[in-house]
Amino acid sequence: MSSVLEVTNLRKQFGGIIAVDGVSFDVRDGEILGIIGPNGSGKSTLFNCVLGQLRPSEGEVRIDGRQTTGFRPCDLNRLGVSRTFQLLQVFPQLSVRDNLILAGQEHQGTMYSRLFGRSDAGLTDAAAQMIDFFRLSHLADEMAGSLSYGQQKLLDAAMAFMAGPRLVLLDEPAGGVNLTMLGQLRERLQTYHAERKATFVVIEHQMEFVMALCTRVLVLAEGKLIAEGTPRDIRNNPVVIEAYLGH
Amino acid sequence: MATFIQLLVSGLATGAIYALAAVGFTLLWQTSQTINFAQGEFVMVPAFFILEAMYLGAPFWLAILIGIALSLLLLGLTFKFIIVDPMIKHGVLPLVISTIALSLFMKEMVKNLYSANAQPFPSLVASYDFHFFGAVISSQSLAVLAVAISAVMALHFLLHKTRLGRAMQATAQNPTLAGILGIPVRRMVLYTFLINAVLCAIASILISPIYLAKFINGETLGIAAFLAAIIGGFNQVRGAILGGFLIGILDNLSAAYISSTYRSAPPLLILIVIIMWRPQGLLGRVEERTV
Amino acid sequence: MSRLGVIAVVAATAFFAIVPLFLKPYGIYLSSTWVVLSIAAMGLNLTLGYAGQVSLAQGAFVGIGAYTAALMMHAGVPYPICFVSAGLICFAIGWVLGYPALRVQHHYLAFVTLAFTALVFLVFRNEEWLTGGTYGLSGIARPSFFGWSTKGALSFYYFSFGIMVVLTAATWWMLHSPWGRAFVALRENPIRALSLGLDTRRYTLMAFAIGSSLGGLAGAVFAPLVQYIEPLSFALDLSLNLLLMVIVGGSGYFFGPFVGALIAVLLPEWLRFIQGYYLVCYAILVMLMMAFCPFGIVGLLERGIKLVIFKRNPPQSKLQSESANP
Repeated sequence: MSSVLEVTNLRKQFGGIIAVDGVSFDVRDGEILGIIGPNGSGKSTLFNCVLGQLRPSEGEVRIDGRQTTGFRPCDLNRLGVSRTFQLLQVFPQLSVRDNLILAGQEHQGTMYSRLFGRSDAGLTDAAAQMIDFFRLSHLADEMAGSLSYGQQKLLDAAMAFMAGPRLVLLDEPAGGVNLTMLGQLRERLQTYHAERKATFVVIEHQMEFVMALCTRVLVLAEGKLIAEGTPRDIRNNPVVIEAYLGH
Repeated sequence: MATFIQLLVSGLATGAIYALAAVGFTLLWQTSQTINFAQGEFVMVPAFFILEAMYLGAPFWLAILIGIALSLLLLGLTFKFIIVDPMIKHGVLPLVISTIALSLFMKEMVKNLYSANAQPFPSLVASYDFHFFGAVISSQSLAVLAVAISAVMALHFLLHKTRLGRAMQATAQNPTLAGILGIPVRRMVLYTFLINAVLCAIASILISPIYLAKFINGETLGIAAFLAAIIGGFNQVRGAILGGFLIGILDNLSAAYISSTYRSAPPLLILIVIIMWRPQGLLGRVEERTV
Repeated sequence: MSRLGVIAVVAATAFFAIVPLFLKPYGIYLSSTWVVLSIAAMGLNLTLGYAGQVSLAQGAFVGIGAYTAALMMHAGVPYPICFVSAGLICFAIGWVLGYPALRVQHHYLAFVTLAFTALVFLVFRNEEWLTGGTYGLSGIARPSFFGWSTKGALSFYYFSFGIMVVLTAATWWMLHSPWGRAFVALRENPIRALSLGLDTRRYTLMAFAIGSSLGGLAGAVFAPLVQYIEPLSFALDLSLNLLLMVIVGGSGYFFGPFVGALIAVLLPEWLRFIQGYYLVCYAILVMLMMAFCPFGIVGLLERGIKLVIFKRNPPQSKLQSESANP
């Protein structure tokens, strides 16, 4: 199988603190890769380096074999990499529909052709489908800010999928979501994955969620990769248990 | 050389006054996220309190005390409770707009109630010129420097050497944590407003004999205070002091050596350069941005 | 736009087209001033209200536009070219001034733009060979087109009103293209916008440049309206006043700036009886508004209308009732 994302020897240093210390891994086409690790193990920093939010101190990131280290997040997004955020990141003063159209519009034509193009960039139908898919139809015209926390989480995920991405990075999708909503979110993610053959990378604390969703899991501790394997292997790996309990 | 020393001393003197206004500005920002666009008017107005008191028959020393008391009451207490507290919950921008409106209000009130003309203002010391390596230095410049530096040193002592000052610093750095540690945060914030009022009153007393008291004075003073605060570092009292002196000296030197019509340009250009390349200011710390 | 909105806009346009017919020359002059301020404030609303970038430089752009137009007209260039050039020059300068906004935000940006305004004023005042220094430029002629002269107060009003309608329509259209959505995204959450493929850098610069060019175009109308321009008209005061207009009218609401400009023009006239104190009243009004309705007059109206509609048609969905009774 070919690799969608290849990370080679990635290092990120903040002053004297090494947050990510020489991490290498690859993400294969069509898999759901989980990255777990205790707080402060460098998961989010790793994500931010891959996504161009931070510039890695050393190392290389490749998307579909193409070197993308230091690309801006907007350029990466147009190459088909999208993400969700750990903390809520929707546009509260836009309607749910407009949030989704916004998530897709920058992939339609050029900046200047959009100025003279249709107001919805031709995305109303696509947005409606995505709203349907995440079961938010009754809220399509509501301001995103008036949605409940769980609904906003669904919207956040929907936005990440709007442009039909090749690779989606989900940063703690389960954080702060109640159990009912969590089940729904996981079920939707799995369905989307099965239908569209998308590739996911998930950072998560909630072990049940990772174990149920992911096909392969990496474990990060103190900026280093300490284990890799199927969810079952990881659950029984003494090194991982040590890393979690040792803190 | 003699001219240079002369310019340097008068630059230091005006710079010291700017520093007082800039320090107050910075303190308000630190403890309450107040960006006071009326800071210049805060320096303009106390002179009129004093003039009014003298007009009613008070001797100069008493008028100064009355002026400081009125500043505490109006520029400290009233400003905090009537303008800042109701507004700050809406965010920084509405408060900025309010202080812009407040500056307009103060300017127009002084113009209407007092006069649009510049008023002479008594000097703290008798006029006398010292001769120093051929340079002529006025007693007024020296008095301004002495008073401003003492005020800044007193403030520094208060902030760094007393319990109260440490509590205020803690409040500025992390109000939530300070509250948990039992520091009366609201009172500490109020104190910074009072300190700002006193600093403005002192600056007013020092600058008015030089530039005369006029309703429009606040505009240049306000800009000088912003410049000083930003150049030095918005989150640092030391930075504001350094910035004030820099602006004062630069202003005087550029007036003499570059062009009197463009004297205010170099500080503005430096401001733009600093904000672009070192937004935290010369002495400031970087405020971390989180994703 | 809702049907109610369309009716309101048509009615307002008709009102402003007809009313000057019944006004004295001074009233017509004030109406033209309102047109100029509305165009400039509309530009600032784009930068501040939609894209969320604080600017204290809009008055400087009105000045740059006015001086550009006046100087070119003195050189004998036909007015339409002067008008377009004023817009283009301000677009270019606005683009450059947008660069600081990529590095710093909020109050820092306010200070950079404030410094820019102060510098532009110095140039207007000091470069006598070009700008006439403190004496300014006088004798700016009102243009005529194919034999129709805009020399009279009323004809100049209709000329400026026509320009305003065209610019307003163009801005409306732009804000209802995907760009409008992108500008709002920039204001609400630039980091998320960036991760959704928005080139936030280019949109920020665009917001600055287009907003500034509207300021310049307003200046190009202002110069032949007053026929005499001097540096003091474009000092920091104008920038601050334009900012107040946008906020008082309702920042981020399309028609907010028009209402704000109307108040700024009319208030001194209404409050004439208290003479010098009208600015005091204006200042108090602004402070009260910031304390009690920081979303401005149009925001207040919108809330009022929503409340009425809400009462007439009680909501069905669970969510609406939740948000109404928290």
